[in-house]
Amino acid sequence: MAGVSTSSLVKKYGAFTALHGIDLEIKDGEFIVFVGPSGSGKSTLLRCIAGLEQIASGSVMIAGEDVSDVDPADRGLSMVFQNYALFPHMSCRANLEFPLKSEGLPLQDRERMVSSVGKLLHIEELLGRRPAELSGGQRQRVAIGRAIVKEPKVFLFDEPLSNLDAELRIKMRVEITKLHRQIKNTIIYVTHDQVEAMTMADRIVVLREGKIEQVGTPHQLYFAPVNQFVATFIGAPQMNLINCDSAIRGDAKTTIVGFGDAPKTTLPIGGFEWTDGDLTLGFRPEHVVLKEPEGEAIHFRLRTDVVEHLGAVTNIYGQISGSSAEHTDITVANHTQIYFQEGKEIDIWVPVVDCHLFTPDGKSLKRYTVPPSW
Amino acid sequence: MHSRSISLLLNVLVLIVVFVLAFPIVWILMNSFKQAADVNSYPPAFFFQPTLENYKVLFDIAEAGATNYGTIKIQFLKPVTSSVIISVGAVLLSLIAGVPAGYALARYNFQGKEDLAFFILGFRFAPVLLVIIPMFQFFQAVGLYDSYLGMIWVYQLITLPMIIWLSRSYVEDIPLEIEEAAAICGAKRSQIIIKVVLPLLRPGLVGASLLVFLLAWHNFALGLILTAKNTPVTVALLKLLNPGVNFYPVVSAGLVVSMIVPICLILLGQRHLERGLTFGALK
Repeated sequence: MAGVSTSSLVKKYGAFTALHGIDLEIKDGEFIVFVGPSGSGKSTLLRCIAGLEQIASGSVMIAGEDVSDVDPADRGLSMVFQNYALFPHMSCRANLEFPLKSEGLPLQDRERMVSSVGKLLHIEELLGRRPAELSGGQRQRVAIGRAIVKEPKVFLFDEPLSNLDAELRIKMRVEITKLHRQIKNTIIYVTHDQVEAMTMADRIVVLREGKIEQVGTPHQLYFAPVNQFVATFIGAPQMNLINCDSAIRGDAKTTIVGFGDAPKTTLPIGGFEWTDGDLTLGFRPEHVVLKEPEGEAIHFRLRTDVVEHLGAVTNIYGQISGSSAEHTDITVANHTQIYFQEGKEIDIWVPVVDCHLFTPDGKSLKRYTVPPSW
Repeated sequence: MHSRSISLLLNVLVLIVVFVLAFPIVWILMNSFKQAADVNSYPPAFFFQPTLENYKVLFDIAEAGATNYGTIKIQFLKPVTSSVIISVGAVLLSLIAGVPAGYALARYNFQGKEDLAFFILGFRFAPVLLVIIPMFQFFQAVGLYDSYLGMIWVYQLITLPMIIWLSRSYVEDIPLEIEEAAAICGAKRSQIIIKVVLPLLRPGLVGASLLVFLLAWHNFALGLILTAKNTPVTVALLKLLNPGVNFYPVVSAGLVVSMIVPICLILLGQRHLERGLTFGALK
């Protein structure tokens, strides 16, 4: 059991800097997820922690020990790869035994540990087979088994579910979460799928272009994203963005915004960090309401374009009409059973408590309506 | 109907190709069992009284003076053994030197890597005759002339570039993740190579070894110039062409014998040879 931390970690590939000084503190037993678009450096960061990549400067600490110059073999961690990376010439049993043999454990211990992992992951009957004879999900289990069998301090996952079909992915997601509850070791998990990140993580690290954008619980990232990038990256469908036509600072905790000729609206968002330029309004598709709400709300007219009826939720894609923000693309996610038609004009309201404001350089202004629980 | 006629046509074409390819070999096989008189008969004899005399002459089993050729001594077993020693030795040396080189070319990045790889392959471009005269003088000078060691060494010109390039391609076919997984499982570099990389390379290397063994076995020019007593089988066959004597049936028998060793090896490693021939093409 051990925490992991990095300080000013820099990774370069020739002239290209992949990671620009990463400072990160991961607590013992925490399930942490690195998420970001491709090229954000999330896998590179994981590989630096694993020791598979040489770092240019900075350090990696595992269990309070500087392991920056230690071989991957001696860092006391294990890893599950995207393509499983099972040894194809060995049976599953031999695959599971491999890390134990490398440590020089006697046969008796190896057999005991392999069979207990086999039981834990329900792969006992597969142990005699070769990886080629297994399905994707079964290979994934064996790969996880090989990683946990030596009871590592830290457990690394590099997009382990991306090769599985959607149904199996959800199943394995739940199983990995359960597994974490059982074995309680530190898990670092890389994914580009923000749903995986939101569902599994204790804390999420959002990366972009080799820099950390925000570290926080799924809840924090959803309600209080630090900037426009995190706000649009977390949540599906994406957060809607509309340029404000006018904006003035209200009192310490309010900002007044206007769109076209419509009456101006006071938002419970502090404007102190905003000095100059146009503000951008952000609101999530699922927060749009179709009846005028009791509290204050911003009103738009929406011309519906494409409608996706998913059953539990209906996604409506359309453009704003009848204000200066005309033609801005908007998505509405509706959880009622109303049947929407394409090519119609509808009224939508966004309650002010669900609004976000972003400065021209993408920073979030402080919201005074976020849930009080933290 | 239409597709049936096409398939018939294709079958006929295949039969023609098989006939063209097989004819010389069948002809040699037949000649090797003929009496000297039958070899040159016209029209060619397809039915004849087979004899083992040619093979007996080849291995000097027939009693001196009892053959059609008078008393000649041919010790054909000697060049066959020489060829086996030289070719197998050359392949083994190439594997020992070439597989690590191929691994390095596949897995490490260093300056001038591609140039080096091309340079290695470049040995295959040079006509052997170009290097053979200086080699002759050099071998005479250092005492490698007519030695197995010298031959195994100079055969690296043929076998080593192929082994390096083939093993490079096979290593590139092994996902790097597998080696990384082994490293994270606690295996040291040497263990990764022995327990993971080599077992995965084995089928490819068996095929590649067979392939370069054939190249080595068939080589003629190097043995002709650089050996006297320890000649390989290809050169020994030439020496059978004794002017003034009708030696064709004996040469044919020699050819058949020289084919036996590679054929045995191919039968042993047939499954792997396919992979050796189509290296890199199947990903």
